[in-house]
Amino acid sequence: MSRVVVAGSKDVISPVVEKLHELRLLHIVNYNGDQPEFELGKPIGKAREYSENLIKLRSVTRYLDMKNKAPERTYPESQVLSEMDNLLNNVGGDVTATFERITEIEAEIKSKQDQIKSLTPLSVIPLPLEAYHGYDSLATFVGTAVTPVEADVARVSPANEVFTGTAKNATYVAVFVPVEKASEVSAVLSEHGFSEMSVPKLEGSVDSAIASLNGSIKSLEGELAPLRKKLADVKKQYEDLMLATDEYLSMQVNKSESPLRFAETENAFVIDGWVPSDQYSRLKNELESAAGGKLDVQLIADKEAEELVKGGEDVPTKMDNPSIVRPYELITRLFAIPEYKEFDPTLLIFIFFPIMYGMILGDVGYGIIILLILTLLKKRFKTEGWQQLTSLFMISGIWAVIFGILYGEMFGPLGLWNHVVGMISHHEMEMLQNAGLFFGEGTFGPLGRLGPLGIFPLYRLATNAVLLLIGVSLFVGVIHCSVGSILGIKTELNYGEKKHAYFERLPVMLFQVFFGLALLGLVMGLMTMVYISVAVIVISVVMMVMGPEGAMGLAHVPSYVSNLISYLRLLAIGLASVGLAYAANQLSFYVIMPMLSGGATNSADFSIPAIIVGIVILVSVHFINILLGILSPFMHPLRLHYVEMFTKFYSAHGGGVEYSPFGHVRRFLKA
Amino acid sequence: MVVVADAGILYGLIAVGAGLATGLAGIGAGVGEQGIGAAVVGVVAEEPGFLGKGLFLMLLPETLIIFGLAVSLILMFAWTPFSAIVTP
Repeated sequence: MSRVVVAGSKDVISPVVEKLHELRLLHIVNYNGDQPEFELGKPIGKAREYSENLIKLRSVTRYLDMKNKAPERTYPESQVLSEMDNLLNNVGGDVTATFERITEIEAEIKSKQDQIKSLTPLSVIPLPLEAYHGYDSLATFVGTAVTPVEADVARVSPANEVFTGTAKNATYVAVFVPVEKASEVSAVLSEHGFSEMSVPKLEGSVDSAIASLNGSIKSLEGELAPLRKKLADVKKQYEDLMLATDEYLSMQVNKSESPLRFAETENAFVIDGWVPSDQYSRLKNELESAAGGKLDVQLIADKEAEELVKGGEDVPTKMDNPSIVRPYELITRLFAIPEYKEFDPTLLIFIFFPIMYGMILGDVGYGIIILLILTLLKKRFKTEGWQQLTSLFMISGIWAVIFGILYGEMFGPLGLWNHVVGMISHHEMEMLQNAGLFFGEGTFGPLGRLGPLGIFPLYRLATNAVLLLIGVSLFVGVIHCSVGSILGIKTELNYGEKKHAYFERLPVMLFQVFFGLALLGLVMGLMTMVYISVAVIVISVVMMVMGPEGAMGLAHVPSYVSNLISYLRLLAIGLASVGLAYAANQLSFYVIMPMLSGGATNSADFSIPAIIVGIVILVSVHFINILLGILSPFMHPLRLHYVEMFTKFYSAHGGGVEYSPFGHVRRFLKA
Repeated sequence: MVVVADAGILYGLIAVGAGLATGLAGIGAGVGEQGIGAAVVGVVAEEPGFLGKGLFLMLLPETLIIFGLAVSLILMFAWTPFSAIVTP
């Protein structure tokens, strides 16, 4: 990145902004207005008109319930311009009117439904509706009461008329008394748990009123349907054009308001910004030719730029990864954007993350199902976010299949693998078990069992396999953490902090690597290796004490061990998933099916209902396991990256700012 | 040769111990994550950009379970106490 200053005459501000927007090269540093010689810039062109139109359009698209979507067709700017007036005023006005009418009708239906709701209980009182309203000298109380009210009402107001009726566990009363007695009667009624309800001002009997309300609701609903269809038609016809217009207007607003980010004097403007170093000459040439010589583009010397950075300015970071790695930027970004001088860990995530995912899930059947679901999702949702997410998972899914082959798992152990691909004989299995060399019973078909001691396909629930995988997980951790530490050393050196690099980062790496080697030596009985490793560990601890933190550095030692132990989750989460799959198969084939077929042991004797119940249970447990198999193998490697690896090198100096050049990527608009 | 305890009972006790190690560690991690999780949800509701860092903090106590699990695995698979059961 290079720091540049663009200064020019105000005469050419429009073509310069236009050019900048088109180039998408300059990451503008906003002018904060702290220099008395310069003021903040003012919007150029028809900023107000554009924003007004944009607001109009947005309200129309909101009425049409339009969402962001992948473009089906694109429009040239000229077409957007020529159709904009029609779109905003005629089509937009029509949509607004239709939408308002729909809202109105819906409100009316709602109010009629409310009336019906309050009328329905009144049908138990034998009065026409007009009897409830329109009195000068009478007070009316209508509502529910818990206990009979007649006697008490008669006591306070000898002149009265009380009607009661019962429906649905409630007693409805209508009390008519002279106005002057109203407050006393009201007090009496409240003693009986009276709660008042409103009576709609309608005429005729309750039933006929409800019927006529229902009738008008129906006719209103009939009116709604064509209006809704009209909106749907408009949406279908104009959706892409409206989104294109939205894009055009947003671009124009963005352009005309951009001078707010510049510094201005009476006759000139100044833009500060960052540009990728190799693009500087292109930016300079293009801008100068656009401005016809009334502009100057200056490169700020590195030293001066360094001063600006020290003064609190952030150098924007442009993450530049090959397209296959790019989806994994999502994981990096979720944590923090790398700072300009930091290493972008996306490539490492791309390497380690899918392997860890595969190592945990490791099942051919699950892997293929996940890949199928992802393919469907990829076809269905074309937005960039979905595409990245599905690609991210797809690579992981492929690794799950690869590890599934190594583990010999197809829908769990006892699943399809042994039947489809092949297994060793019982006799051979017993021999291996007695010799303590049992790593599983599956085979690679005619190839038999492969690898040293014939460990593949590795049956993950076998004792030997668990012990082996504990070791493998720990060593994945050692490698993973070491890579992190190496990058930590490199980053510290980039920032010129030699002491931190050699006495803080390096000893951690030595400690972890030789801790792993010491364990390996113990297991393999190589005592020389153990002694050497312990010696290096002691040296690394001494280095830590000599480091910037002094003796306090020792406080971190337990966490370096726990970092490594944390990688056991690669085995543990996998075992949980295998366990569930194993339980599913065991439950349906060896428990449910025999039990429901009256204790049959041979699969040919299973009754049909037993097989159906068994398969339903089998499928549902496997389904749950697949869902978990998407979630936990994703979360846990994520944690291993964020907590165990990133802490060794990443964002020790705070997160960075992403390079976002002034400009716009056209989607619905043709270039 | 004195038989100190029935091998079956001892193996059962080991299994119970292994279960307790993982289970109690799980409860501990859960209690730890409870507070952090609630706080993180609150922060993310105000500022979605904090999600990654929040997740990082929330996942920290999870190592506890792995410690418990490591103990369980050692008990179940790596540590064979049967030599100690039968003392000469």
